[in-house]
Amino acid sequence: MQRILILICTIVLTFLCSNSAQAATTQLTWLDTDPVDTTAFRKATTPQTWHFPEDFGPHEDYQTEWWYYTGNLQTEAGREFGFQLTFFRQGLAPTVAQTIVPKTAESTQSPQSQWRGNQIYSAHFTISDIAQKNFYPYDRFSRNRIALAGAIADPYHVWLENWSATEIAPGQVRLEATTPEVALDLMVEQTLPPILQGDRGLSIKGLEPGNASQYYSLVQQPTKGALTINGQTFTVKGLTWKDHEYSTSSLSPGTVGWDWFSMQFNNGSALMLYLLRHDDGSLETTSAGTYISADGKTTPLTFQDWQVKVLSTWKSPQTKAVYPAKWTIAIPKLDLTLQAQPLMPNQELKTQTATYWEGAAAFEGSQKDQPLQGRGYIELTGYADRLDSLLSVRN
Amino acid sequence: MNSTESQTVSNRPLWRLAWQRLRQRPLQYVLCVLGIALGVAMMVSIDLANGSAQRAFSLSTDAITGRATHRIVAISPTGVEESVYTQLKRGVNQVAAAPVVEGYVRTAELGDQPMRLVGVDLLAESPFRTYFSDIGSSGNGWVRFLMEPNTIVLSQETAAQYKVSLGDVLHLDVAGQPRSAKVVGLLATSDTLNRRALSNFLFADIATTQEILGSVGRLSQIDLMVDRPQDLEAIAALLPQGVKLETAEAQKNAVQQMTAAFELNLTALSLLALVVGMFLIYNTVTFSVIQRRPIFGVLRCIGVTQGQLFTLILGEAAIFSLIGSVLGVALGIVLGRSIVGLITQTINDFYFVINVQQVTLAQSTIVKGLVIGIASSLIASAVPAIEAMNTPPTLTLQRSTLEDKVQKLLPKLVFAWVISTGLGIVLLRWQSAGLVAAFAGLFAVLLGAALLTPPLITLAMRGFSPMGQQFLGVIGRLAPRDILRSLSRTSVAIAALMVSVSVIVGVSIMVGSFRGTVVQWLDQTLQADIYVSPPSTTANRVLGKLDPAIAEALKTQPGIQKAVSYNDADVEVVDFHRQVKLISANGDVSQGKRPYAWIRPDLGKDPWNALNARQGVIISEALILRENLSEPPKSVTLQTPEGDRTFPVLAVFYDYSSDRGTIILDNDLYEAIWHDSSIASFGLFVAPNVSVEETVNAIRDRFQGQQSLLVQSNRSLRQGSLEIFDRTFAITDALRLLAVVVAFIGVLSTLMSLQLERTRELGILRATGMAPRQLGALMLLETGLMGTMAGIFAMPLGYALAWILIYVINVRSFGWTLQMALQGRYFWQALLVAIIAALLAGIYPAFRLGRMNISAAIRQE
Repeated sequence: MQRILILICTIVLTFLCSNSAQAATTQLTWLDTDPVDTTAFRKATTPQTWHFPEDFGPHEDYQTEWWYYTGNLQTEAGREFGFQLTFFRQGLAPTVAQTIVPKTAESTQSPQSQWRGNQIYSAHFTISDIAQKNFYPYDRFSRNRIALAGAIADPYHVWLENWSATEIAPGQVRLEATTPEVALDLMVEQTLPPILQGDRGLSIKGLEPGNASQYYSLVQQPTKGALTINGQTFTVKGLTWKDHEYSTSSLSPGTVGWDWFSMQFNNGSALMLYLLRHDDGSLETTSAGTYISADGKTTPLTFQDWQVKVLSTWKSPQTKAVYPAKWTIAIPKLDLTLQAQPLMPNQELKTQTATYWEGAAAFEGSQKDQPLQGRGYIELTGYADRLDSLLSVRN
Repeated sequence: MNSTESQTVSNRPLWRLAWQRLRQRPLQYVLCVLGIALGVAMMVSIDLANGSAQRAFSLSTDAITGRATHRIVAISPTGVEESVYTQLKRGVNQVAAAPVVEGYVRTAELGDQPMRLVGVDLLAESPFRTYFSDIGSSGNGWVRFLMEPNTIVLSQETAAQYKVSLGDVLHLDVAGQPRSAKVVGLLATSDTLNRRALSNFLFADIATTQEILGSVGRLSQIDLMVDRPQDLEAIAALLPQGVKLETAEAQKNAVQQMTAAFELNLTALSLLALVVGMFLIYNTVTFSVIQRRPIFGVLRCIGVTQGQLFTLILGEAAIFSLIGSVLGVALGIVLGRSIVGLITQTINDFYFVINVQQVTLAQSTIVKGLVIGIASSLIASAVPAIEAMNTPPTLTLQRSTLEDKVQKLLPKLVFAWVISTGLGIVLLRWQSAGLVAAFAGLFAVLLGAALLTPPLITLAMRGFSPMGQQFLGVIGRLAPRDILRSLSRTSVAIAALMVSVSVIVGVSIMVGSFRGTVVQWLDQTLQADIYVSPPSTTANRVLGKLDPAIAEALKTQPGIQKAVSYNDADVEVVDFHRQVKLISANGDVSQGKRPYAWIRPDLGKDPWNALNARQGVIISEALILRENLSEPPKSVTLQTPEGDRTFPVLAVFYDYSSDRGTIILDNDLYEAIWHDSSIASFGLFVAPNVSVEETVNAIRDRFQGQQSLLVQSNRSLRQGSLEIFDRTFAITDALRLLAVVVAFIGVLSTLMSLQLERTRELGILRATGMAPRQLGALMLLETGLMGTMAGIFAMPLGYALAWILIYVINVRSFGWTLQMALQGRYFWQALLVAIIAALLAGIYPAFRLGRMNISAAIRQE
């Protein structure tokens, strides 16, 4: 999954978009424009040996990391909702700088500030109220100091202020997020072992060595709990997909964005695809995917294994960006054809840092002549902002 | 003549007449314009300097407040525990909150002035302040700011001013402790106001700031943006004891309240100058009317209406006052620029740190100057205008009628004096009406005294006349008569000079008494031999704290018999809703020699034993006086980190170092309740036979490099205190000088007009055999007499003024009781000033008259 770009944008462009109006009045000139030494971080070059629960936690020797929850929920009466709750970690340096205080014989050395750190956390939280066609997007960021944000492996806990994923019992994770308008309180249960994406978890993103991530997913997780929208609380249940991925890499220049699909089918199987798009519309050859059968067996997919066609588009009234809005997906290797369509059109997320579309979607089709349907999430980036030009700010 | 016809009548001939007169007697008008200008200038300059200081403070506050609506602050000076911020962010739903840590540092590379070091969290800043809203556009430079210790950002303008560039390492002095910081970013803004405010700031990451200021774990405040009342409730419910939620404005208001009395005093002083200026205007306009009485009589005879005449006189006055006011505003701006430094210094010494780098010219200052200048001129000229209007044409032709009227007016003037003075006394005694009433009373007394001048002159001159003839011959008889004959004019000049001189006498007595009181108080209070504190960013107040290690080491410094530690904080007195200074001490630095205004009867002579036993607090006199309490309160309730606490009042002491009120508390009690064990300063008692100078040097040497300490002997501390005192009153000196100048111009213009008016009469004197020297002597005798009278009348008035300043104004503005100390020199100096001013003013007319052409003079008119 190629959300790595989002993250890089998130960090690099902090505040840039949100405050462009005020940016006109103040201007900062920095001593050096790129003091971050990415070479100091570890790169994902070979498949690693996975240890859980340790690997549920943060890997600060890599520069970027995220814990990504998306899910489709419905009430007893069948009213549908979608949610996304994602925690991003960005390392600014592999180690925390030490404060050197001038020391004299009798002086008490002033201790280091608890605010001094090397990590920035950000989080995105959305709720899609399908029936009302209302979308509630939020985002935040914070450093991981004085308990404002952070991640712990065991017991598993990732949080940013009052948004969190917390292990309640082994395999049971509580997702909580509240804002003045909406709130989420869900219990997510792990049923399958972690699905290692790519080659034993090593997911290749670019042709250059090291342009890869360590990546596993928890799919088909039964979920139940409550969801509150403007004071009205709904008891819901459904399925949650979790991705956890970390890396120190960026994509090849000329990549304008990507389309990412996560599908959880009624028969217990699941499918993940990511399509990296070039300038000219062609796909990056590292675009890939994984099919997960109901028993957790995985079948890796390369971009040659599928045909994805866009059937229609949707223009965002907010950003005027045009997103694909309906697809046909054919994977001959799996004898699978699907039609994919968002459950509602406007699930565009304009955060303080980047704009992308990420929303609940329906998938319907057949596999081996059996009807197949499911719910899932689609992520579309690079339609509102050209990602490579955004990224050039960094270079 | 009916009304429709009168409208068609042109006023142009009248104006032409006025213009002609202006061309004949330009100097008189110049002086009138100058008088208005000086009065207005004085007011404008003080307003400007005050305004600039306030504006600088307000700008720098606003620059940090940004869009915050509320803030969380600690009751203890140690600051807010940073865990409160975490609780807030994790406990309350999506509240916009930003932590701020700030303090003052001096930077050698930036002119060694106090700069406000503001620590922010970049990630929480954007809703509040826009300075870092642009961080993404220039790459990842902000990462160094966020991650690397000792990195700062400053304004591009400041950097350019001091030739500091990116990458330079600045040397910071944090309460004497050396720190260094690297400039990693420059902040430019296109907004002028922001740019001005930013020039006083250094920005750093919150971690860096905590480390530099030594306040790890603590925040100065948490800024909030809350618009829903339920969110405020949720936040308030979450807050632990020891912190409070207040509006963003609260702090600013509290600080501005502190200087309100100081500013009002300055404004009143400037009004005093304007009053003197008004005398001058009245004088000039009266003259121009009186001198034209024959012409006005003729005009009235040929059909000019009363209204036209009134319009003419007021119109003239309006034009001159406009010119004078415009000049005054211009002059005021120039003066204001030079006194802004004086005012800023005082505010820094006594109230809060401001750094005024630019004089801000508020439109309101200009408008106020113009309006008051013009209005006071019009009021001053309305009296003679009405008089001229109401006098029947036949009488206006006679010059003596006015003087006759004045003579008849004398008993009424005495009556008016009684009324005005009575009103003044009522206002001065009206305690609850506060400072404004006190100043109104002061002005009423001054005005009354001015009204009494003509009767007094009449008495004095009648008394002098026989004596003058006996000793000085003809001249001795002529001079007092001349003065009396033109009483309507001479009395105004004398009154103006008297008011000015009395201001000099009054202010001198007040300042002298004040100084004497402070000297005595310092002598009694400061008994320790050596005083140690961090070098403060301002002269009077200690802002930093001593390094705890140094504080500990000082107690065991060889040769020290006893060490008295001091700490201070701001505390809110719940009973009075007032912020006062809280001093925690572990002993009495005065060794029991300090005088008290009141001691609880059961405590005997020294309340410190009870204080040490934690039985209560000692409060300062200012607290009682500013609250208008007739007797000391039994107890005071203070806002403490552990909730409101009530402490019995043990005694009332004198404290001239703070006008807000001071409360002394035992150090152990303070530590226990405020959880603050820092020490701001020490008073050290040296053992017998140990040299103070050597100990001072030993302490300086011992802690060198660790914290540069201010180690002062008793004598140098006293000297330093008096230097601050003198600096504070430097502005009054400037005002005194201006008052004299205004008075001088008043006397000069009066005398010149008088002499010119009498040209014909004096010509006859010359023709009948009076020598030019005699004439000159006559002139000088007249002016000398006027000056002497002004000087003599000014003495009792000056004394009264001093009494009011000391016992009413000072008590109400600052809550200080001063011992009035009279010195002969205040009086004879004032008399000298009056006489010299008058004589100087007489020289030019005397010189001109000496060269008069007798035949032309007689033929005049």
